[in-house]
Amino acid sequence: MHPAGAAAAGTPRQPSKRRIPVSPPGMADPHQLFDDTSSAQSRGFGAQRGPGGLGYPAAAASPQEAFLADPVSNMAMAYGSSLAAQGKELVDKNIDRFIPVTKLKYYFAVDTMYVGKKLGLLFFPYLHQDWEVQYQQDTPVAPRFDINAPDLYIPAMAFITYILVAGLALGTQDRFSPDLLGLQASSALAWLTLEVLAILLSLYLLTVNTDLTTIDLVAFLGYKYVGMIGGVLMGLLFGKIGYYLVLGWCCVSIFVFMIRTLRLKILAEAAAQGVPVRGARNQLRMYLTMAVAAAQPLLMYWLTFHLVR
Amino acid sequence: MMQPQQPYTGQIFHPTQTYTPTTSQPFYGNNFEDEPPLLEELGINFDHIWQKTLTVLHPLKVADGSIMNETDLAGPMVFCLAFGATLLLAGKIQFGYVYGISAIGCLGMFCLLNLMSMTGVSFGCVASVLGYCLLPMILLSSFAVIFSLQGMVGIILTAGIIGWCSFSASKIFISALAMEGQQLLVAYPCALLYGVFALISVF
Repeated sequence: MHPAGAAAAGTPRQPSKRRIPVSPPGMADPHQLFDDTSSAQSRGFGAQRGPGGLGYPAAAASPQEAFLADPVSNMAMAYGSSLAAQGKELVDKNIDRFIPVTKLKYYFAVDTMYVGKKLGLLFFPYLHQDWEVQYQQDTPVAPRFDINAPDLYIPAMAFITYILVAGLALGTQDRFSPDLLGLQASSALAWLTLEVLAILLSLYLLTVNTDLTTIDLVAFLGYKYVGMIGGVLMGLLFGKIGYYLVLGWCCVSIFVFMIRTLRLKILAEAAAQGVPVRGARNQLRMYLTMAVAAAQPLLMYWLTFHLVR
Repeated sequence: MMQPQQPYTGQIFHPTQTYTPTTSQPFYGNNFEDEPPLLEELGINFDHIWQKTLTVLHPLKVADGSIMNETDLAGPMVFCLAFGATLLLAGKIQFGYVYGISAIGCLGMFCLLNLMSMTGVSFGCVASVLGYCLLPMILLSSFAVIFSLQGMVGIILTAGIIGWCSFSASKIFISALAMEGQQLLVAYPCALLYGVFALISVF
């Protein structure tokens, strides 16, 4: 009745040695996807199908199930891969709406010289004279070419290093567990978000016309993690004295750094050049700058004191 | 795919001849002998794997930018498993941590490199490079089986191995993505990632 059935009975099958089923001589189409399974020779077929298909056990290779295994699995694979491709397209299209990738790329256009000089500036800002960001036809110059431009590489790396150093510090005190790392990370992120929102709110309330973008603000607020790492490392090596000394130095440095950088962004041009301008508006802006700068040392202490015992 | 308009003339359980497979592989070839060998079909090329391993093992040799053109995850998989196996020899059953940290680290490096480089980079390429450069870490963890790494010698050895891994990884990334003046910047996050692996080996 079925030529395949006769062929199945005729050809000796060695299912373990072959990767694909032998096309029975009766069937002319070499691309036929599967053999005729309606015959009673399902045992050999099932054993063959086992490694190739969905891992169907030989015992379940009754004609109906074996019929379903192969075309459905291939269709499912094709559907799955097209779904994955569609999903990837969707993510790529939408990620640009939530995260401005091209704007972020500006903040990562750094090189080693810039990072070295900026780290030096963060620890010793007292001798630097010109804090103004250079502009090139209305767009600020990339951080690679101007040391005053904010970048996101240093804050991002400093944040991750801070979490790892916190883990190390907790480990030396035998208080380490992986969920504590997650706790540290989320509490630091929460404080950062709170700071950014508070400053944005105050800028809005004081109707300050500034070109300080949110990402700029995140970058400036992220620079304090460098000092925190320094303090905690010194605390690990030299105990509390080292911690307080280095943290004190870094707190003062970051205070001066923030004042000098934000003065140019928040205060009006006249006040930025050092000419004291009387007026409620400028006074309020000065207070805001001082408050932001003063919050940095406080947060630096708050986020690190429990790590050094 | 099957055309639904065609009247069903066959018998049930007999496929109609119009079914065409949607896979593009010549899986159902004419002859068993015409098929490509299994390794080639799977994309595992031992010669390339060996070349990339040599590139990692000679940190001072200049890397060729084209070696990362094909994404090969078989080598890194082998290295991850070998790392887990050497940890197992030391009595630490931490395969889960190894995989988790590799996944998070690869994701982080992928985001960072895409933001820092002019040309983008695919996730497979990042995973492949980071996996290959895990090889010296296997040396460290196999050393930890015999000697404890918690002395001064251990610290120096660990620091040296982390430096070696991150230097090779950054060298390959720099040459493959043509980034100038950023080698240390790429090496630092790699060093953080391999530092976490070293922490697992040591403690």
